Amino acid sequence: MSVSAFTERIRSLAQHHDTAASEDAYAALRRHGFSAFERLSIPTPRHEEWKYTNVTSIFDGTLVIGATDAAQRPATSGAEITRALGADVIVLHVQNGRLQQDEHSVIEGVDLYDLRAGATTDDLQFLASIAKVDDHPFVALNTAVHDSTVVIHLHRNVHLERPIHVVCSADTTTSTQLHAPRVLVVAESGSSALIVESHHTVGEHAAVCVPVTEVVVQAGAHLQHVKIVADEGQGKHVGYTAATVARDATYASHVACLAGAFTRNDLVVQLIEPSASAILNGVSVLHGSEMADNHTVVDHRAPHCRSEELYKGVYDDRSVGVFNGKIFVQPHAQKTEAYQSSHALLLSDRARMNAKPQLEIWADDVKCSHGATTGQLNEEAVFYMQARGIDRAAAKALMTYAFAAEVVERFPHEGLRSLLEQHIAQKLEVSR
Amino acid sequence: MTPILEITNLHASIDGTEILKGINLTIQPGEVHAVMGPNGSGKSTLASVLAGREEYTVTEGTVVFHGHDLLDMSPEDRAREGLFLAFQYPVEIPGVSTANFLKSAVNAQRAHRGLSPLEPAEFLALMKERMALVEMNPAFLQRSLNEGFSGGEKKRNEIFQMAMLEPTLAILDETDSGLDIDALRIVANGVNAQRTPHNGMIVITHYQRLLNYIVPDVVHVLWNGRIVRTGGKDLALTLEERGYDWIKTESSVEA
Ligand SMILES: Nc1ncnc2c1ncn2[C@@H]1O[C@H](COP(=O)(O)OP(=O)(O)O)[C@@H](O)[C@H]1O
Ligand SMILES: [Mg+2]
Repeated sequence: MSVSAFTERIRSLAQHHDTAASEDAYAALRRHGFSAFERLSIPTPRHEEWKYTNVTSIFDGTLVIGATDAAQRPATSGAEITRALGADVIVLHVQNGRLQQDEHSVIEGVDLYDLRAGATTDDLQFLASIAKVDDHPFVALNTAVHDSTVVIHLHRNVHLERPIHVVCSADTTTSTQLHAPRVLVVAESGSSALIVESHHTVGEHAAVCVPVTEVVVQAGAHLQHVKIVADEGQGKHVGYTAATVARDATYASHVACLAGAFTRNDLVVQLIEPSASAILNGVSVLHGSEMADNHTVVDHRAPHCRSEELYKGVYDDRSVGVFNGKIFVQPHAQKTEAYQSSHALLLSDRARMNAKPQLEIWADDVKCSHGATTGQLNEEAVFYMQARGIDRAAAKALMTYAFAAEVVERFPHEGLRSLLEQHIAQKLEVSR
Repeated sequence: MTPILEITNLHASIDGTEILKGINLTIQPGEVHAVMGPNGSGKSTLASVLAGREEYTVTEGTVVFHGHDLLDMSPEDRAREGLFLAFQYPVEIPGVSTANFLKSAVNAQRAHRGLSPLEPAEFLALMKERMALVEMNPAFLQRSLNEGFSGGEKKRNEIFQMAMLEPTLAILDETDSGLDIDALRIVANGVNAQRTPHNGMIVITHYQRLLNYIVPDVVHVLWNGRIVRTGGKDLALTLEERGYDWIKTESSVEA
């Protein structure tokens, strides 16, 4: 089965939806998604943005699209993360792309609900306003096939103390799955929250997840957004996250790729008003034939904004890492401060890393820097530790762990940090 | 009495170049041996071969450590058996705190000897006590190992580690280099505090200065991969006065 068979499936779904067409705004959005996907299609490695990550191999005509009725919630999947977030965590389960909650709930000034066809809330205005349907094949695909949108709307000046955990999982016990979770976060002015999004698969069949998360951070709001891909199952992940950050607001993204055969994350952050800031942290720890590709864009569209990005990856065996980090500084974005660094540690001769920083600076009064390194463990340091009685494997694990932990230390939430540290330590076989 | 260390006719090379050309050296319990010699004579090579650095190939000779074949052991086992090398250039290890590093090292040694790991409180108290020997601030424990330490701080840290691991044979490779006179005295005091009738030391130095503080029982002069002179502590003073050229001339005549 091939990409063309897959595209054909999407087309027939689109025709089905066309006959069922309504004047509803949500249905119109999905039709828009279908037509954009028809035009953009699944990108091949000839496409610059998909050069190192061949997505054509994971989309085929056998994927079952839009089956939302499986709904045996995996008992363990994501539960560990939920537990780490403490007793007062608010959990939203998104199963095969649909929120497992019918009612619209309001918790401590936060609206939590599923935005579907027929809905008429004000949040419709934000939908697809940041993740542009016509620009990105997987935003188009998600828009075309997604079931509904999970909305997390923080009202003005609400400081949510309770973390929110969005657990996206697929149950592939009976068939393969293409699932398209969609999340919209609106943080009104002066609000703050921590949202943790994690992705999981259970079941024997293949799953492909094409999630889209849109985040609107309004003036003076502070949003911490953690994304964890730790898929020990059959899941493959092609995700897209976009955020706009307004005056004096902060968006902090923390991405951890700790397991998964195939992970691609696109992250686009636009600083649209003066004194907005962005933090982008990323950590990947891979082995076997795992792959993680992080494409990030920080777009400085206003003066006096600041962004700081740190991505680190550890690659063992035949695993592959890709980092592409773009920074744009628009002509009027004077006094921009933009810093980026990406570091890869290769633990095996067969592991590979492709890193590409890309800075496009059109303003003259800016402070920007970037640095990308790919290296191996310092043999001199390994010997130094051996000479103190630490065996070679333990010495390497200790140094590798320290390398990755530098990023994890920047993640929010004590419980979450220690869980991630424990995961990384286990994967690296560090005795602690 | 069994010697701590017995080196017999040791030859070692790196990348096909022979650096050590037949070293003989025996250290009895309680003895401090100084190894002196001009730059490039092979002092660090000898230390590296004893510590087990893989780049070097031993082509001939034997090294017996407490009755065991040292050359047969991995570097970590040598350390666990009581050999300690204070590095000429201590390595910076980002992200690994001095405390964590020492915990791994001490507990690896304890496990090797069938002992259980030390309790955290016990361990912390021990670290603080031993740091005081070299007048190191406990704040260093939380810093990444050697990262951003000054030259003197790195050398003191080496002697602190030695105090934690209580080796039976310590090899100090130019521990005096880069130290001002105050730091030199602190480091030397730290070393002297660890002299016992049961352990031995090899003090490698280019200058006689250190030996005013750490007074050796035996002084060897290493030149061109061989020990060309052995004497008492006065030999160091003679070298200070006359320089190494005197030895070089005499040795080439002999050779
Ligand atoms: N990789 C190498 N290949 C050949 N010669 C080397 C290599 N590394 C070191 N040497 C040589 O070994 C000799 C001894 O060096 P070293 O043991 O560091 O001397 P010391 O510590 O006495 O100053 C020097 O002449 C040095 O040039
Ligand atoms: Mg030397």
